[in-house]
Amino acid sequence: MATSSTTISRLTTLWESPHTLYSWFATVDHKTLGKRYLATSMLFLLVGGVEALLMRLQLFHSDLSILKPEEYDQIFTLHGLTMIIWYAGPILSGFSVYLAPLMIGARDMAFPRLNAFSYWMFLASGIFLYISPFLGQAPHAGWFGYANYTLTKYSPGMGMDYYALSLILFTISTTTGAINLIVTILRLRAPGMAISRMPLFLYSTTTISFVGLFGLPPLTAACIFLELERRWGMHFFGIAEGGTIFLWQQLFWFFGHPWVYIIFLPATGMLSMIVPVFSRRPIIGYPFVATATVLTGLVGFGVWLHHMFTVGMSDMAMSIFSAGSMTVSIFTTIQVFAWLATMWRGRIVATTAMYYAVGSIVLLVIGGLSGVFTGIIPVDWQVHNTYFVVAHLHYVLIGSNVFPVFAGFYYWLPKMTGRMMNERLGKLSFWVMFIGFNAGFFPMHNAGLLGMPRRIYTYPSWTGFDGVNEVITVGAFVLGIGILISIINFFYSLKRGALAGRNPWGADTLEWSTDSPPKVYGSEHIPVVTSRHPLWDDFEEEEDPENDRVLDWGRLTPTTTVLDAVPVGIATIPEDSLAPLWLTITLFGMFLAIVYQRMWFALGALILSLVVACFWMWPRTEKEVTE
Amino acid sequence: MSTVQIPPPQVSLATLPLDQKRGIHAMWCVIATEAMLFVAMFGAYYYLGSNKDRWADHVAPKWWLALILMAILLASSAVLMWGEHQVKKARFAAGRIALWISVLMGVGFLALQGFEYSVEWKDVTPYSDTYGSIFYTITTLHAAHVIAGLVMLMYIGVMPRYGDTRRTPHKPYKTAALYWHFVDVVWVFIVLFLYIIPNFQRYMHVH
Repeated sequence: MATSSTTISRLTTLWESPHTLYSWFATVDHKTLGKRYLATSMLFLLVGGVEALLMRLQLFHSDLSILKPEEYDQIFTLHGLTMIIWYAGPILSGFSVYLAPLMIGARDMAFPRLNAFSYWMFLASGIFLYISPFLGQAPHAGWFGYANYTLTKYSPGMGMDYYALSLILFTISTTTGAINLIVTILRLRAPGMAISRMPLFLYSTTTISFVGLFGLPPLTAACIFLELERRWGMHFFGIAEGGTIFLWQQLFWFFGHPWVYIIFLPATGMLSMIVPVFSRRPIIGYPFVATATVLTGLVGFGVWLHHMFTVGMSDMAMSIFSAGSMTVSIFTTIQVFAWLATMWRGRIVATTAMYYAVGSIVLLVIGGLSGVFTGIIPVDWQVHNTYFVVAHLHYVLIGSNVFPVFAGFYYWLPKMTGRMMNERLGKLSFWVMFIGFNAGFFPMHNAGLLGMPRRIYTYPSWTGFDGVNEVITVGAFVLGIGILISIINFFYSLKRGALAGRNPWGADTLEWSTDSPPKVYGSEHIPVVTSRHPLWDDFEEEEDPENDRVLDWGRLTPTTTVLDAVPVGIATIPEDSLAPLWLTITLFGMFLAIVYQRMWFALGALILSLVVACFWMWPRTEKEVTE
Repeated sequence: MSTVQIPPPQVSLATLPLDQKRGIHAMWCVIATEAMLFVAMFGAYYYLGSNKDRWADHVAPKWWLALILMAILLASSAVLMWGEHQVKKARFAAGRIALWISVLMGVGFLALQGFEYSVEWKDVTPYSDTYGSIFYTITTLHAAHVIAGLVMLMYIGVMPRYGDTRRTPHKPYKTAALYWHFVDVVWVFIVLFLYIIPNFQRYMHVH
């Protein structure tokens, strides 16, 4: 590899942000933003976890009164929203934003400022939601906030307004993030990285980005309807005025079920990256896994009614959606068997990341099977709204999101921090989490089959639910301790961990060819890819004796064609800017004004947003380095 | 470890032109998600109507006004297309004039829609019943998109330089125009679902 110090110094001058307060707020570097995504969503995981533990304390025994009923309602709503919306999606965005450009050999995302805007909007929407508990008026209707309980008659106060508007803010963040990832992954791949040679993680990221484009607008529509009905006296859900409460359910679940795949598919994509590396062989059935990923996203749009089997609808509709739900499980099964076959045919290296990966496969299968149960209509009628469903959704979400995310952390943190995580602490953390999780959530199946309903703030002692709930609460705390061990491990390894080097795991994808942590500009020479496993073949990706691929006269990265990745152009990458942050602040102000119905303020904030957006987009000369 | 290898594409990167397509690709994504928003709205319109004996046809809105509005929007799209063509041939002044004509027609659309609202308001308001709520929500949401499209067009209209230059790599004229065409197409669907079909049903009821 030809390295010249002038090239490196030019690239560094072009791409590096100085360590100033301005740069801290203005940065558009995908690595910084990715790490911020990860840190912020881990914070939300901790907040949601504390809320979960509060609920478990309340349910430890029958007839406890640690929390008042209204407080309990608010806490379980916040717990659901925080975990499903503000933790599970953004943490995967964090991995995608950090890793996708490195995996495809690009220098940054396609729209770096939009990337910054997505992050700030995500943060702003989370802050927006968490204003409400400080007013004592958090949303209290569950994370899916069924009408007509959410109307002003039953939910006075600002809670549901904060709910609806923070969700709209969040959809803006996720939609812009999805657009950015789609264009980045489809257009900025390294020359030669044809779509058939793309890492599987990027398949799932692209799929969920498209799912987000089509799945999020119904939520926005539902939240607009809710706000109009609550504060402007229009009629959508109120039955007395001719509305229907099922309109909310239809729109919400048309968003809600694709959202499940949005927070699930990238995690399976991570497993498809991690399992082969620690089995020391290419994944078995790459085309099947890739196709199954795309089909899961597609068929995921045809299953939403299975959340509503008990509301009463035609047998035909129920049968179709029941069949759809089971079809999706086939695609997941294909992935599971691909991982199992890869492990079977490979030589397993038992690292912590692999522990978490295998653990998550186990939990995912349990959660998936209980999902097949609940997809069957009579079983669904039996267990609907019981703890069986709580057990199912936690097995799916923790098995296919939290455990893969921890596998991802143990796998990719050495790349991000340059330090290896402590394996001994990591394995301890895995076993504590795994045992705690199963002790906490497996008995919920039982409680549900015995008839314990979900979303109750307490239960009388004659029901005999005490014993099982004690086990659940202890298990939940053990799970929390397991997560804390990993967090301690992170801070310990940040200081004391062994240096990682470029490719500590002997992995196959391009992000491992950069330094750990990567340079601000990624790799010095834009890599060229000739196979699915660039670092395992005998082709030298960054071999470039003519210095043709350094692109060091501006902030540049090549663009390629969608399918074959033939280079066709050079993309200019904009510099740091405060505009994304200002736009976020003005939109935040606008939504706050809408909550309090100060429409002139809202209009002012909107006009201010337009001014900021115009300033953002104004064409200006890019920085060039001249000698 | 051996894997299947295919020779790399033999292209020199340093000599490639600047990329001009990312903007339009992002705009297609925006249009996809906005289209889905309107699909959700139309879905809500029909879902709300599904449990009622008579839905829109008892107060079917004036179809001739909607058709005039549609004609205005489609004409503005045609003018803008002509403008795109001019810009492509580097006749920037003509492109700018076409753009401002489209903007004027868009403003005219909004004014006429305001008049239409004042006519419809006598029979039906957003607060009168579910039908009024969803009718005004969909049409106002579309008007908001028209305003957004107008802002984008006006912004392009005052931008210092546009077209295929090295300094404006995102082909802003074409991108904004694409959004404007999308807004116009949405109005065609609104005319079909909210105006033509209810009037047709009303005709069937009467005769």
